[in-house]
Amino acid sequence: MESGIDLQGSVIEILGGFGIPAGLAKVIWMPVPMLLMLVAATVGVLVSVWLERKISAAAQQRVGPEFAGPLGTLQPVADGLKLLFKEDIIPTRADPWLFTLGPAIVVIPVFLSYLIVPFGQNLVITDLSIGAFLWIALSSITPIGLLMSGYSSNNKYALIGGLRAAAQSISYEIPLALSVLAIVLMSNSLSTIDIVNQQADYGILSWNLWRQPVGFVIFWVAALAETERLPFDLPEAEEELVAGYQTEYTGMKFALFYLGSYVNLVLSALFVSIFYLGGWTLPIPVETLTQWLGVNEFSPAVQVITGSLGITMVLLKTYLFVFLAILLRWTTPRVRIDQLLDLGWKFLLPVSLANLLITAALKLAFPVAFGG
Amino acid sequence: MKFLKQVGDYAKDSFQAAKFIGQGLAVTFDHMGRRPVTVQYPYEKLIPSERYRGRIHFEFDKCISCEVCVRVCPINLPVVDWEFNKEQKKKKLNHYSIDFGVCIFCGNCVEYCPTNCLSMTEEYELSAYDRHELNYDSVALGRLPEKVTLDPMVQPIRELAYLPKGVTEPHDLPKGSQRAGRHPEDILEELEQEKAKRQKASADSENN
Ligand code: SF4
Ligand code: SF4
Repeated sequence: MESGIDLQGSVIEILGGFGIPAGLAKVIWMPVPMLLMLVAATVGVLVSVWLERKISAAAQQRVGPEFAGPLGTLQPVADGLKLLFKEDIIPTRADPWLFTLGPAIVVIPVFLSYLIVPFGQNLVITDLSIGAFLWIALSSITPIGLLMSGYSSNNKYALIGGLRAAAQSISYEIPLALSVLAIVLMSNSLSTIDIVNQQADYGILSWNLWRQPVGFVIFWVAALAETERLPFDLPEAEEELVAGYQTEYTGMKFALFYLGSYVNLVLSALFVSIFYLGGWTLPIPVETLTQWLGVNEFSPAVQVITGSLGITMVLLKTYLFVFLAILLRWTTPRVRIDQLLDLGWKFLLPVSLANLLITAALKLAFPVAFGG
Repeated sequence: MKFLKQVGDYAKDSFQAAKFIGQGLAVTFDHMGRRPVTVQYPYEKLIPSERYRGRIHFEFDKCISCEVCVRVCPINLPVVDWEFNKEQKKKKLNHYSIDFGVCIFCGNCVEYCPTNCLSMTEEYELSAYDRHELNYDSVALGRLPEKVTLDPMVQPIRELAYLPKGVTEPHDLPKGSQRAGRHPEDILEELEQEKAKRQKASADSENN
């Protein structure tokens, strides 16, 4: 199925028209989507930081940022600039190498995961056949970075914070992977594109949300825990640990952690919308819409419109979940570390395992509805 | 069976927890639609209430250096620097100071001062870079604070006690709206009218 816009193909074709060989054209094309993705991820973070501050303010009947830019929209930029100009301190007798590498190891895998986020049939950097697996693998690098930065800070609070962060990430990794596995089982593919396409047939009715309600809840809870959002922000619990593994970090290194957590939040929300809410598909399938309107689905104008509609849909669904996460932050109190581990190991793990087994059984029993 | 019951109870607990989280989300969601009640401080200021105990005002000429204020103060705070004037056989006040870094604004000194030369103002913006700057001498104590309602840079905002009954939002009140309850002046006037009526009645009854 090769419908939709193919930007790479058309750019290579156009460059070929100037007499540039296909191989060279591909090399010229390659950095463009990467840069685009970096910019998109950063802008996504800025937007979610602004949303976080504004929605928090609204939930508490405050005004929130107001002076930097219209409605305070430049506030996240101002925050970033301020962090950029802060002094970068490495504590005495800390391990400077591990201390510097820590934040990088936390942030880089998160950005790498954007490789497989599809915004449309061909609006993805790489359509890997192991996409979902790649994401799971990349997100398990993060605890190493957390542990590293906590350990190298030469501070007992940072060490405890790092250990807690690692424990939390590892215990929520498993239910997350299991619920993704159930999705993969139903779509017969690890590729994010295939997962979305498999939900595209009947519009809103064929979204995985209806077939995997338990998996959806588990995925969202585990993703919140992975991104250290409240109610699971134990690693940096300010009452008990001052700021956890970030205690000793200042300036840009601190900003990297901050950036990483927000990119991760947006990424998790993106994956929720891709895995469970049908990614870029509209609630009413495009084919039906074009039939109603009586236009040719494959004409270029309609392609552009549906492509941008698809991007809008992904962003809408994603920011719905970002919004939900922010609302949850002001609703739920922080859990204790034993409650956190209880929830992870004694509730989410068995339930997600049961969910996986039931999905497998249903797939065998009703191959039509469950992607046999 | 015991196992099944355990599982059932556990499931019930989980559903209940989910329900409570849902209710909580509904509450926060509801709060988002409400208007912020923030007083935007440097541009808007609350009008302090009538009996607000702010910075203390001192009138040098009224003071008789009796040191009652020092004795009633919980921490003997006011510093009254006087000497005895032999010709006049009277105490002469040289200096008076109160350290507002230490004062708790209890108002005892104001209450007991026999000549009423101390009084409480509505000034509350006492921040300083150095805490020793909070030690006010008689000149600083003699300054009158700027009224919030007269400051052209500031939008005065009414406190809850000055709002009409049932209103909690001071920002866009219509002009001339009355506060809840009656003004003390009105009550006084009413009392005086009643008194006059009573006097008239008694005078009438005496005449008859
Ligand atoms: S207000 Fe109270 S604490 Fe302050 S000087 Fe007067 S008596 Fe002392
Ligand atoms: S009580 Fe009043 S009159 Fe007496 S010393 Fe204090 S300020 Fe002066």
